[in-house]
Amino acid sequence: MSGEEEENAAELKIGDEFLKAKCLMNCEVAIILHHKYEQLQQTSDDPMNQVSQVFEKSLQYVKRFSRYKNPDAVRQLCVLGNLCPETVEEAIAMVPSIKTRGRAHDDEAIEKMLNDLSLIKKFE
Amino acid sequence: MLQRSIVVRLLDDFARRKATKDLGYFLAVTTLENIGEGRVRENTGEVLFPVVFSGITFKIFRGEVLDGTVHKVLKHGVFLKCGPVENIYLTCSKMPDYRYVQAENPVFLSEKNPKIEKDVVVRVIVIGTKWLEAEREFQALVSLEGDFLGPVSCENPLD
Repeated sequence: MSGEEEENAAELKIGDEFLKAKCLMNCEVAIILHHKYEQLQQTSDDPMNQVSQVFEKSLQYVKRFSRYKNPDAVRQLCVLGNLCPETVEEAIAMVPSIKTRGRAHDDEAIEKMLNDLSLIKKFE
Repeated sequence: MLQRSIVVRLLDDFARRKATKDLGYFLAVTTLENIGEGRVRENTGEVLFPVVFSGITFKIFRGEVLDGTVHKVLKHGVFLKCGPVENIYLTCSKMPDYRYVQAENPVFLSEKNPKIEKDVVVRVIVIGTKWLEAEREFQALVSLEGDFLGPVSCENPLD
């Protein structure tokens, strides 16, 4: 990485490590950390004692700043983003739960979601 | 048995390392991809296993916009925390229109914007970061000078 002075997130100069790394949403981090915490809960009576300060503070932070309360919806959106389906039928075939679980979107809502995602695709 | 103790050691070392200058704070190990061949160290007889793993880290960058929670209000500015980073300083010179009001719970007030006091969430832009090697910690300077910055109402109060 080229010196601290060069870093500037506004221009996406964030160092090679972070350019290569995946960027997670707070709610995703919350899911992962919470899962870790639950694992610890099973093996120890006092899980908060087992984890580092960094873990504890981060978990609090991502929980508080998770804008998306419904983890199902987030996963659905991620899968759709990865698979880039073009039609509503295709989207439902790939992620059947968008019709059945969570908010249970209707066709129009799915269509809009796909349109939004395809806009992101074009701008790249 | 051996694998288990290697994992335990990895998790332990990971938590103890806390943060590095390049990668930021170490939050959690997600996957252990590979455990290499063990090498015996000549002097101590300890065995060293190289491991390859993935994990989640958190680092703040200059130019980044983020949400922080006010945890201390001083005459010349406020300290925010943002996850593992607790020393994020917003000086009053970077809070246009705000003035300090001394009280039991001191606040920064503005004519146009909501007040800034303890536990308020503020959206800020990072204008500088500093890595403290001795403490293994980051500090940051932040500002409210920019569009759409300032106190935000958070729909998700602490649960």
